[in-house]
Order: sequence, then C-alpha cells, then structure tokens
Amino acid sequence: MYEFTQMGWLKHVIFHPVEGFEDLRWKKQGSLKIAFVIVFLLFVVMVADRQLTGFQFNHAYVKVFNVVPLLVQSVVYFFTWVIGNWALCTLFDGEGTLKKICVYSAYALVPYIVCSAISIFISNFIVSEEVIWMSAIYYLGLGWSVVLMIQAMKAAHQYSFGKTLVSMFFTLVAMLLILFLAILLLSLFQQVYAFGYSVYTEIAYRIRG
Amino acid sequence: MAAVTALSMSVTAFADEPYNSYNYDSWEDAVPSQSAYMVETTITGAEMGLSRLRDPSDPLYVSDTAPLSLNGARDIFIYEEDKELWVADANNNRILVLGLDDYQLKACYTGVKGSSVDNFLNPFGIFVNVSESLGQKVVYIADTDNSRIVKATIKDEKTLECVREYTKPTDSIYTVQSFNPKKLVVDKSETVYTVVNSVNTGSAMFSREGKFLGFFGANRVEVTAAVIAQRIWRMIASEEQLAGMKRNVPIEYANFDIDLDGFIYTVTEQKTSTDAVKKLNPAGYNIWNNARGNEYKFGDLQGQLWDPVTNKNFQTRLTDIDISKEGLINVLDFETGRVFQYDKECNLICIFGSKTSTSDQRGSMLNPNAVESCGKRVFVVDGSKNDITVFIETQFGKYVHAAFALYDEGRYVEAKSEWEEVIKRDGGYTYAYIGLGKAALNEEHFSKALKYFKTAYDQDDYDKAFKYAREDFLREHFTLIIIIIAVLIVLLIVKSILKKKGIKLIKRRKKPLAEAIPALFKKKKEKEGE
Repeated sequence: MYEFTQMGWLKHVIFHPVEGFEDLRWKKQGSLKIAFVIVFLLFVVMVADRQLTGFQFNHAYVKVFNVVPLLVQSVVYFFTWVIGNWALCTLFDGEGTLKKICVYSAYALVPYIVCSAISIFISNFIVSEEVIWMSAIYYLGLGWSVVLMIQAMKAAHQYSFGKTLVSMFFTLVAMLLILFLAILLLSLFQQVYAFGYSVYTEIAYRIRG
Repeated sequence: MAAVTALSMSVTAFADEPYNSYNYDSWEDAVPSQSAYMVETTITGAEMGLSRLRDPSDPLYVSDTAPLSLNGARDIFIYEEDKELWVADANNNRILVLGLDDYQLKACYTGVKGSSVDNFLNPFGIFVNVSESLGQKVVYIADTDNSRIVKATIKDEKTLECVREYTKPTDSIYTVQSFNPKKLVVDKSETVYTVVNSVNTGSAMFSREGKFLGFFGANRVEVTAAVIAQRIWRMIASEEQLAGMKRNVPIEYANFDIDLDGFIYTVTEQKTSTDAVKKLNPAGYNIWNNARGNEYKFGDLQGQLWDPVTNKNFQTRLTDIDISKEGLINVLDFETGRVFQYDKECNLICIFGSKTSTSDQRGSMLNPNAVESCGKRVFVVDGSKNDITVFIETQFGKYVHAAFALYDEGRYVEAKSEWEEVIKRDGGYTYAYIGLGKAALNEEHFSKALKYFKTAYDQDDYDKAFKYAREDFLREHFTLIIIIIAVLIVLLIVKSILKKKGIKLIKRRKKPLAEAIPALFKKKKEKEGE
C-alpha cells in the first residue's frame, strides 16, 4: 500500500488533507529537495504577483522594484517559521525533526502557490467586475494551505488539534522574536562597524598628518 | 570643459518664475511640469497712480497725507462688466477701484454716506454686482472693525451712498459677542453670506431686507483619535470636569466664492481631511463629499513637505478660493504662496506661484491674501509686499485650458489635438494621456486606448477599455476560438472512447516508461533497505 514516487507523495498529501501527512510520516517519506524547490516557487510566485498581475489589479508602486522585501516575505519567513517551530517543539513535547518540519511545511504551501499562480494568470483576462473569480481562487488556495499546514504540524509533532493551534500561535510569536533579534543584531553590528571605521580613519589621519 | 559648461549654465539669468513648476502624477508624487502661468506684471501703488490722491487739482484728491501704497490689502473683486478691479485696502481704510486694462486708479472710497459711521475701518471684504431690485450696480463692503456690512450704490468716483447696513444679529441663535464680518458673497436673490470672525457654525446669512436668516454650511468636526477619546471621557466625567473640558467645535472656514450657478465654494485654512474645500448647494450640503466614495484632494498632497527654498516643513493652508467664469477653481495656499488650479471635476490642472525666503522676485509672495481670476489672467494680492501680482497663461496653459474645457464637456475626440500639443510641451502630463485614451476609446481604437491609460496609470479607465477590447477580440476571433474548443472536445471524447476499449495508440513509448519508474523506485527501496 502507498507506493508512490516523491511527486506522487506530494500529490497524495495535498489531496488527502486529513490522513495525508500521517501517511507521509508513517512511510517516512518526503524530500528536502522538493521542499526547497517549493520554497523557491513561493518566492517566484510573489515576484509574479507583483510584476505579472493584470494592470487594472496591480496596485504595486511600479516606479521601483526591490526584490529584497519579497525575498524576506517568502524565503526568510519560511525558514524562520521552520526554526521557530522546531525551537518550540522541544518545549511542547513535539516529535518533529527539523527536516520533517521543513518538508511538511513546504508541502503544505503548494495549494497557495498554485492558486496564486492561477489567479495571477486569469487576472490578465478579466475586468474588475469579475474580480470575484480571481479572489475566490486565491482564497481557496490560502484556506487549503492553512488546513494543510495545521495537519502537517499535527502529524509532524503528533499533537492533538488544540495543541497544534497553540503551538502554531506561539511559533508566530517566536518568529517575531527571531526577526526582532536579527534586526537588533544587524544594527548593533552596523554600529560596531561604524565605530571601527571611525577609529581606522582617526588613526589613518594621525599617521598621515 | 563640462565643469565650465555647468558653471555657465548655473549663472545664466532667466527672466523666469522664481520657482520650478510641478504637478502631481498618478502616484501623488510631485513631478516637474511646464509653467501654465507666468508673471505678467506686478501692480504697486505707484503703478496704480495713487499719487493722484494727493494732487489737489485731481478730481480724486483725498488729502495731502493719503498713503501712496496699498497696506495689508485683504480682498479683490473683479467686476468684468465694467472692467473694474476692486481692492479692499484694509489697513488704509479705503476701497480702490482700478481699470482692468491699464490698472490705473479710477475711484477711491474712504467711507459711505448716509450710514451710522462715515469712514471705513479695516474693510476686509468686497463684493460688487447689479441689484435687480434697485436696477443698478451695488457694492457690498465687509467693514470689519466697524462691525457691519454696508450695501451701497455708487454716486461718483469718491462717494458711495448707503442703501442698507447689516449689523450684529439680535437673534438668540447668534451667540458670539462680536460681529466682525471678514468676507462676503451675494447671490442672485441678494441674500448676503458673510464669514464672521470666530463664528464656526458657518457663514451668517442676511436677507435683502437686512434680516438675519441663520447660518449656512458649517464645517464638520474632523473625527480624530483625540476627538473619540474625549467623547469617551465625557461619558464618565463629572459636571465640574465637563465645564473645564475643551469643546470639539468645527473649524471656521476662511473664505468663499460663488459661481454663476449659485453654488458657494468654501476653503478652510487649517489642515482638515473632511472639509478643506467644499462646494455647497443652496441647501448647504457639500457636493464634494469624500465620504461618498469619491476622492477630492486639494492643495499639496504630501502633507508635511520640506521646502528647499525656505528650508522648512509646511502644511497647506488654503486661504482663498476663486471660481472663474469658465468654471476653473483657483485655490490659494497662504503657507506656500501657491495657487492650485482645478477644473470643474477637481482635477488638478496646474500649480503656480511661490513663497521664497526673500520674496523679492516677481511671482513670489510674502503674505498672499486673495486670488481672483479674469479670462486668462489670475490676480494674487499680497498684504505684505503691498502689490497685486498678475499671472497670465502661457502657451502651454492655453492648450491645457482648451483641452480641459473640451474634456469636461465629454468632447474627447475634439480635445485630442489640444492634448497632443500639451504632450509636446510636457510629456509627463497625466491628464493628457487620460484624455487621449478616452478619445481613442470613443473612436474604438482599443489597444491604443489601453496604451494611453497604462501610461497615465489610470486603472479605472483601463479596466473599462479592457472590457471593450476583450469583447472586440472575442468577436473578431470567434470562429477560431470555437474551432479550437470543438477540436479539444472531440479529442477528449476520442480519448475516453479509446480508454474504454483498451486501445492504446502510443503503446511503445508508454510501456517502458510506465515500467521504468517503479523499477527505479524498487532499486532505491532496496538500497534503503540495506
């Protein structure tokens, strides 16, 4: 039973929201490579959303295009989610490993990516009266991904449903903390660098003059 | 070489405006633009010929000490029928009348005969029209520090004869102690509307007979966090606390004007998002109401701005409004000395005028008090420089105005050539592309229209054009689309039939592939098993 290829497993997981991740865990399946590809596709879809959405729906400020915020919103958020969840699972008695969390979370993102891509595609062919189709597809994907994510975390850590929700909430808090600390660290290093540089210029001037 | 060129360019003196013209694009960013107006001349007391007031041989002689310049002029009014420019020279306590063609003094009034007080005291506002009941020209003067409004007929070039005085209303509805009317307009039925100092319940209305009719068109209180917080505190505060609390009252509006159809336009000096500029119908209801889903914006769009000339932040403070005969709306910003011109639909046409640190150049203001327009000229009165700056429309302005006039009437195709002239002079003029896009849409050149709307970043019109373009596309390629769909359906049916009967058309390729993948997997499994 359940002899699938890696892609077959991905399909199985997506279309069986209730049992899929349990099966995946039971059969010890899931590919890290595919997970990374999915995260990359998430980034691609975010860029596409900004650049390729139909003109009448695109409210982005087109005078400048900066890829860094999009990169942060996709890849960086994903990995902080994974690390935050992993850090929390030790406190919450979860059974998931870092790899499992990463793979399962990535798999759960697939409906969102696919539906976003579809809605971006059709946004080029509809007028604003028909925007309901576009947003329906988008929110369908989003909702589906949320359901899958809950199931993924539940299966990865073998939690009850309630505990899964609690752990996910605290994962969000952990993400905030991680990002806050990262920014703090960055600004501190910047100051250290600025200090070092001013010491260097001071010395350089004294030697020269 | 390059440095020399740059230097020589920077020291070249231009007989140009002392500011860079700009406009706002679809993102509400300020972008450089052409000047739609330029300074034609400035009129000071000397140019008006105010020395005649001291010349005993002149019929306009007033006294040997009559001031030779304006002093704190507050208001101007153009009476086009007689080509007259009326100036309320407030601090000199007089009203001047200039000819509209040569800006020469025609008359000077220091008071009004047959009223309670003979001489004016700081007249702030002036209005002239023809009274239907009297059948002749009448002047309305807001004689601010004499606490009255005077309605007078013109006897000669030095005397006004009082028809009626409007003084402080005795009604209990009028609660303010003082009565200092600042500005006034009069409608066709000779109802007088006046903005009174420290009255925030709207402008006071007087009937032709001088009866106080009530207030008209008050501003609303802008809902801010502080206002909401106070509303909550009021619920729990005691009587004594309530008495000590500041009341939330609307801001009084600073000035107003009336258009040919009898709509009254008001401006409010302080920054409010609710009622900065209003267009009031006779019932006092604001037609330009942002709460109803439209977005009307006036003045500088970016709130606190850094002005590179005066090196400071400023907030738009709209101090006067003028509606021209053609329906153009000129709004004067006291803080920056800029005049913002809008069309009937409140689309920003152009911005001109400035306030520089010294204000010693033509076209820069120090204390801009009033704006008035007539034909292709716009007049701005300065209360500190004591002059009147006359702006005249440039060739660019001429094309823009012509284009907007046609555009506002919906004659998009006729406006096309005008818009093209505009684009030749300013390629970043947003409305030109919208206008051209609408013209293309009317002519059913859909792809062209889409291109124009995209350039203007006008998403709403693009959406409309896109709908037509799509319909057009479907109609043109209808047969092709139907054929493709039919072929696809046939293929699907054939495929399902073949599947049912177990016939495989591409036998050879499919078989090895179908076997190969599980085979690969098994190998991998075995490896893992080891």
